[in-house]
Amino acid sequence: MSRRRIAGAAAVALLALILLDQSWAELPRRVRSLAAFAPKELAVRRLGGSGAAFDRGYFSFLENVRRSLPPETPGVVLTRPAGEGPYLYLGAYWLAPRPVVDARLLSQWGPASGWVTAAYAVFPPAGADRVIARLPEGTLWGPAP
Amino acid sequence: MGAGSLTLLLSILGVGAILFVAWLLGFVISTALLPAGERFRLERMGWSYSLGCALLSASVPPALALHVTPLLVLIAIAAVLLSVLRRFKLAPDDAGAAPRRIPTLLVVAAVLGVALYALRALTEPMWANDFIAIWGLKGKTLFGARGYPERMTTLEYSHPEYPLGLPLLFAAVSFLFGHWDDHAMALLFPLFQAATVVVLVGWLRRRGVSPEVAGLAAVLVAWFEPLYSGFLTGMAEVPLAFGVLLFGVSLADALDDTDGGAVRRLVVAALMIAATKNEGMFFAIVGAVIALVFGRRRRWKIALAAFAPALLVRVLHWPWRSRIPLADFDAGLFSTSRVWDSLAEAGRLLGPKTWIGLALVVVLIAAGRSVFSGNRLLLLGAAGVAAYLVIPAFAVRGPAWLIHTTLLRTTAALAPLFAAAVAARYAGEETRA
Repeated sequence: MSRRRIAGAAAVALLALILLDQSWAELPRRVRSLAAFAPKELAVRRLGGSGAAFDRGYFSFLENVRRSLPPETPGVVLTRPAGEGPYLYLGAYWLAPRPVVDARLLSQWGPASGWVTAAYAVFPPAGADRVIARLPEGTLWGPAP
Repeated sequence: MGAGSLTLLLSILGVGAILFVAWLLGFVISTALLPAGERFRLERMGWSYSLGCALLSASVPPALALHVTPLLVLIAIAAVLLSVLRRFKLAPDDAGAAPRRIPTLLVVAAVLGVALYALRALTEPMWANDFIAIWGLKGKTLFGARGYPERMTTLEYSHPEYPLGLPLLFAAVSFLFGHWDDHAMALLFPLFQAATVVVLVGWLRRRGVSPEVAGLAAVLVAWFEPLYSGFLTGMAEVPLAFGVLLFGVSLADALDDTDGGAVRRLVVAALMIAATKNEGMFFAIVGAVIALVFGRRRRWKIALAAFAPALLVRVLHWPWRSRIPLADFDAGLFSTSRVWDSLAEAGRLLGPKTWIGLALVVVLIAAGRSVFSGNRLLLLGAAGVAAYLVIPAFAVRGPAWLIHTTLLRTTAALAPLFAAAVAARYAGEETRA
């Protein structure tokens, strides 16, 4: 068997391997998802996407925080579920360019005055101080005096 | 209607228009890097996209420093480049087009591969953890803060030691578009893939590879899902894969002295890879070493062209570099046993299909002929694979952790380079080693 034929057979086998290994099953889902979400606004597309899949309620909270933030807010302290990196990453990304600090790391960062606190899944009693917005998924507090 | 409520199609059209104008600018400037003529036509199409993206990225730092819009800087850079272009324009290439074209079936298959990746990339906003925590966060901050706050140089999880080429590109597109759209900007990535494929085919054809082999290499790359996946969209692997291909083929051209633009292309490619990922610097060093070993009389010129631009990028990047020690790596941890651990873990990570695929690549290498240009590309790629296998020995969280989190995607970024290296071994009229 000539080297040319061996190479041809290897190339075709490699192509077959690559084609068989494609994620074919997800293609119809991608097409359906694209058709359903394409006309919607960007935040809704992210809400329905993989980036928020770990906790869609949390992304909804972040979007509500973003919309509720006073324009002059210098930064946000974020309280979130323990031990989950993606919560902090998505929070920092979605609220950027405003700096976002994990509430557990406050001693390391020491936020400046005027920062607000966004607490996920925390619902204070009626009449609590400094509440800027009561959101369906948590609370936004104003800066400490 | 708010900016955020623009539907996806309109946003993609907007980003597409920006990238098309950048490509056009790159196309005009590319006459200083590639001679006009049929032989270079495909490569020029791909290079134009890389030049356009590089100009977009380069427009942001001066704009932020001078407190002007990046558009103004882009216009200024373009005006300067166009005014000096005549002096640097290369003489046209006299050789005519190759008589045979890529078979239609292979062209259609490659286009389908790109279309499939476009579907994967554009199904949803870019979402991978590394996009959210690193590349996207930096780009969005650059755009939104109209600067690079000091805190970003100490934000450990966003890897402040990484170069900023890709975040600057995201920011540049956003400045021109008027808002941050992390869904429409995913369009950048299938275009990187398309540019990679056309440069690959163009270079292989120019180097005497048959249309069938060049076309098949393009199809293999276009359908290579480990690189062109929804997950990697938004991260630096796809642009790095393009940059490393540009760097490798430019190095091969410079060493073989194929045309007057080869060394210039090497300079530009070295700038790009160093600005995209830290390993860009590594490839620049390996390229310089290859040039010193194989470059004969031109060895120093080519080595300098490969290394100096990458060093320049490092220096320019210095004000925005990390102010904290590397958290994930410690040189004191290195040992031979950790290297073995890394290799063993890599062996366990690769499934049967990957082993079969690698075996087929070995068969393709063995069945081809030893060719100068292909050998050098293989050397560059092999050095990259070796580095990706050895670096985990320095990992603080252990070699297994780094192998599992990065090996598949980092090595996948070498696929276009290896495709060029292997296909070059089937060149009909290439100089034999």
